[in-house]
Amino acid sequence: MSRKNVAKRPKLAREGVGGRLHYFVERAFTNIRQNLPVNLLTIGTISLAFLILSLALLIFVNLERVTETWSDRVQVTAYFEGDLSPGDLSTLKARIKAIKGTADIDYVSREEALQRFSGRLKGQEALLEGVSYEILPSSLEIHLKKDNRDSEAVSRYVAQLKKIPLITEVQYGEEWVKRFSHFMNLVRFAGILVAGFIVLAVVFIVANTIKLTIYARKDELELMGLVGATRLFIKVPFLIEGVVQGVVGASVALLVLTGVYLAFLHNADFFFSFNTIEAGLLFLPASHIVALLFGGAALGFLGSLASLKRFISL
Amino acid sequence: MIQLHNVYMSYQGDGAALSNVTLKIAKGEFVFLTGVSGAGKSTLLKLLYGALQPTRGQVVIDGVNVSKLPSSQLPFLRRKVGVVFQDFKLLSNRSVLENVALTLEVLGWGKKDINKRVYHILKQMGLEHKLNSTPLRLSGGEQQRIALARALVNEPKIILADEPTGNLDEESREKVLSILKEANIRGSTVVIATHDRRLIESSHKRLIVLDKGHIVEDSDES
Repeated sequence: MSRKNVAKRPKLAREGVGGRLHYFVERAFTNIRQNLPVNLLTIGTISLAFLILSLALLIFVNLERVTETWSDRVQVTAYFEGDLSPGDLSTLKARIKAIKGTADIDYVSREEALQRFSGRLKGQEALLEGVSYEILPSSLEIHLKKDNRDSEAVSRYVAQLKKIPLITEVQYGEEWVKRFSHFMNLVRFAGILVAGFIVLAVVFIVANTIKLTIYARKDELELMGLVGATRLFIKVPFLIEGVVQGVVGASVALLVLTGVYLAFLHNADFFFSFNTIEAGLLFLPASHIVALLFGGAALGFLGSLASLKRFISL
Repeated sequence: MIQLHNVYMSYQGDGAALSNVTLKIAKGEFVFLTGVSGAGKSTLLKLLYGALQPTRGQVVIDGVNVSKLPSSQLPFLRRKVGVVFQDFKLLSNRSVLENVALTLEVLGWGKKDINKRVYHILKQMGLEHKLNSTPLRLSGGEQQRIALARALVNEPKIILADEPTGNLDEESREKVLSILKEANIRGSTVVIATHDRRLIESSHKRLIVLDKGHIVEDSDES
């Protein structure tokens, strides 16, 4: 064992950035294996925290769907005298379409109006005997785009609609729209508040769990510094470990949520729903699942980074 | 190889742990550092591997002024210095092989080369059969030799050992000393901090005695 052998360093393990990264990933997984109980505990805690978060998300997603269904009922009806010629009707439709916020327009002729009316009077059709459709006005039922269904937007829309000469009257259930807008604002505010608290709690729990994991290995961190490891060399495997813990934790939470959803929730009656055909809870959309996984990775990474700063004093 | 000029070191709120220490240790020397507890032996060693910065004065290791070294450069200095810690600092969740390999992993050695080199050094220590054991399953003497193997495995220019024979039986003490002497013969400069008078007397090497942070005796200057 001559000094010459050591001075001439043996071939390095995988040169270059890719090679080092491969080493770091390998080291991170070896570390997880060597510290399995602590890692399992961390992943378990992260899973629980993410389960709460994803359950809350599931509730919000379904609440949003219900309120969206409700807001579909926001509809503006424009009445006009007599029947319009096809030319006038298409001009009118084009003018209404040009107003910002119009989604689609349905024409209800006077005959159709009478049909609907008699439909509502089922069993008492006799009341309409001898009544001609001419006593009813024809109308256009206008559905608004999603972002234009709150009270103020509807008022603005109606004001514009009233400027169109052929239209004699506009109805939109002003009181109902106002109440609905207030309710929606309340739901949104409560949702943001609850989501904010849950996210804060999750960040706090995950960051502290990772900090404890790293604290448990502070001797290892210290020793690596003492044998000449650079900051990067010490940190990178820990950061990869953090990302793995975060992603695995979030994945476990999503798997549990999927299990719970399939077992209990997918066909549960949803008491908010007006439409019984649509009853049952929706699962999280793909974008939310991807966001949760990325959130897990980011939390794991940042949690590790913040904790390492405290323990690496090199 | 090692030079200290008027080094003064004090811990916050305490008096001087080292005071006006000036010292030169040449390349390839074998030096014992002794003194009662609290004399400043461990502090001096910590200055030599950059775990502490002197309050005043200069510490130069292999031509590098440690006092002015940016922290990003410290790891590269430490790669030249093998340290045997008093409390061994072995990682209990890693095998003997992995503990010793750490020094070489940091240097970026490949797995095959690491395995070969670690086996070789453990064989020198008489511990090749403990390759896959964890440190907690080893005796105190064996743990001490693993710590020694980790410090020596990359053949550092300087070896610092803090009480390397403390609590060891006669046979283990002899073994540890002979390993350090062999490393010295191969060219490493060795500095040992110890209370062990018998170890010092049987070695006939340079002796530096510290007392209350001052060098009170240096056999090289007598």
